Amino acid sequence: MAHSQTMIGHGDGGWTRREFLYALAGGIVLASGISAGRWYFRPRLQSEAFVAKASDYGGNLSGLMVEGFRELGVAPEEIRGKRILLKPNLVETSMGAPHINTHPLVLRGAIEAFLRLGAATVMVAEGPGHRRDTLAVYEESGLADVLTEDRIRFHDLNYITGYTVQNIGRQSSLRTLTFPALFKEVDWIVSVAKMKTHHWTGATLSMKNLFGVMPGIYYGWPKNVLHHAGIENSILDINATLKPHFAIVDGIVGMEGDGPIMGDPKKVGVVVMGRNLAAVDATCCRIMGIDPHKVSYLERADNWLGPIAEGSIEQRGEAIAAVRTNFNLIDTIPAQQGIRLV
Amino acid sequence: MKLLEMRALPEGGFPSRSGEPFRCDATAWAMLPLLFFNPHHSLLGSAGTRLAEAQAGDGSVSIALDHTDAYWPTAISVLAWSRSPVHASHRHRGVQFLLETTGRHFKKEPDSPVQHDSSIPGWSWIADTHSWVEPTALAVCALRNSGFAQHQRVSDGVRLLLDRQLPNGGWNYGNTKVFGVELHPAPESTGAALQAVAGLVPYQEIKKSVDYLRAEVDRARTPIGLGWGLLGLGAWGEAPQGSSDLIHQALGRQERYGPYDTSSLALLLLPLVAPGGILEVHNERPPM
Repeated sequence: MAHSQTMIGHGDGGWTRREFLYALAGGIVLASGISAGRWYFRPRLQSEAFVAKASDYGGNLSGLMVEGFRELGVAPEEIRGKRILLKPNLVETSMGAPHINTHPLVLRGAIEAFLRLGAATVMVAEGPGHRRDTLAVYEESGLADVLTEDRIRFHDLNYITGYTVQNIGRQSSLRTLTFPALFKEVDWIVSVAKMKTHHWTGATLSMKNLFGVMPGIYYGWPKNVLHHAGIENSILDINATLKPHFAIVDGIVGMEGDGPIMGDPKKVGVVVMGRNLAAVDATCCRIMGIDPHKVSYLERADNWLGPIAEGSIEQRGEAIAAVRTNFNLIDTIPAQQGIRLV
Repeated sequence: MKLLEMRALPEGGFPSRSGEPFRCDATAWAMLPLLFFNPHHSLLGSAGTRLAEAQAGDGSVSIALDHTDAYWPTAISVLAWSRSPVHASHRHRGVQFLLETTGRHFKKEPDSPVQHDSSIPGWSWIADTHSWVEPTALAVCALRNSGFAQHQRVSDGVRLLLDRQLPNGGWNYGNTKVFGVELHPAPESTGAALQAVAGLVPYQEIKKSVDYLRAEVDRARTPIGLGWGLLGLGAWGEAPQGSSDLIHQALGRQERYGPYDTSSLALLLLPLVAPGGILEVHNERPPM
């Protein structure tokens, strides 16, 4: 063993003792020159994603989500007593464009579903990247009406004092990430995203939604620290470090074209759920008629943060083919070029 | 002002929310309406001193000691110290920092999908990032209030703000068109920009933005948008009749939202005591 260590060598790309022992035990070779989080030749990750049809927002969304929990093996024992934080996608509001944001009734459905499974508390939190006036977005999106009626607390993540941790993803040059201190008081962080195209990343789904957890007081409006570090790098770093627990994607009416704000409403009629955000996003992409392997941050997340290969994601509920609805892609937007799922 | 006074910390300064520790942004914002209400208010001295203790060697005031790159509270701090001889040196150092600091600026590529001129040096929220509307507006206000209205940096800031004005009126965080599509304005950004350029540009250059903001302020019920909106309109002599009613209605909505954080509360109260805006010497109406 000592002889083998000498042969492998050390340095920036060198192995730790633990990695070397694992490699000997599992027969897996750690290739040089790749980031610490990414292992080629490791066994393929597997996960599940649940797709449910929902023709409109007026249906029994909480019942649909409880069924999703059951299909995904999320048992009441796992949720009972837990403090759940739901993070919607609230970007900004515009008259006649409710499809910019996660619909409030999807939040209501999720709140009710988690409470039915015995959650101790459910709260909703967001830190919009464009508007400093979070309360305006909260109010104008209609979410304030729903949460006030349901007596659910809303937290503005942009102004909360944070705690700083090492960046585990290490895709960007950011050595640390600062999350809202509130996150230390919750057990589950759930990304409740909107199914949309995006003019910088191709698509914005449950992983990209987590940009909104980074407090603006440390990252700016927009969260330019993350843009300068690389949007895709930052998506991966946030997800790798925060390790969110669950994803729910509002695909009842999504957004196509020039997302994430100026695009057109796209009726799909689905809610997509899963424990693994990469797998959920890959499934959403296929529903949108987008090849997840052509969406750079998903391809980079593959087999690291989760599986994106179709064969590695067990589809529960509806089959993708039954609900696929090609989203309009704009061929003058580089991030949307060549990503159509053939 | 009692709502603000109740939040003051015994050792000086203000927290973001009751029960929390001192925070620079909350303290600087809280000082502004107190300053306009009563320049000799009993809380200003200790608050100003507490803020001064948070100032770094380079003159910046950052959101936290372990986030020195988040220097955006500097401009508000300069404004907060503006009438305090005791803190004149701190104000001077803050001004020097603002004069020497820019957001990242660079020549725009010919095929850039972003319309605005990225080469104009303004101010950013966080060090080493791009310049945006509100931090630039606050820096311009702070420098103008400190006697630097003729400085090149103020000219740059005004030029940046005009460049980021949306073609159909208003400002947002700082993007105008992306991939050829005009983005939406926001009242808080529009109010901040209008406040900053008041008295330095002809009314016709910003008329569409005033029109947009007048309509928004009528329906705004949240402190940041309403506060900045009224300040921006007030700086141009366009604050609506019944502004104080709007402010009181917004205060009443704390029953729905819970208590506002200190910065938001201060911004909402500011138009009550500074109806012509926060720039002390620029209350005359610019030429139409």
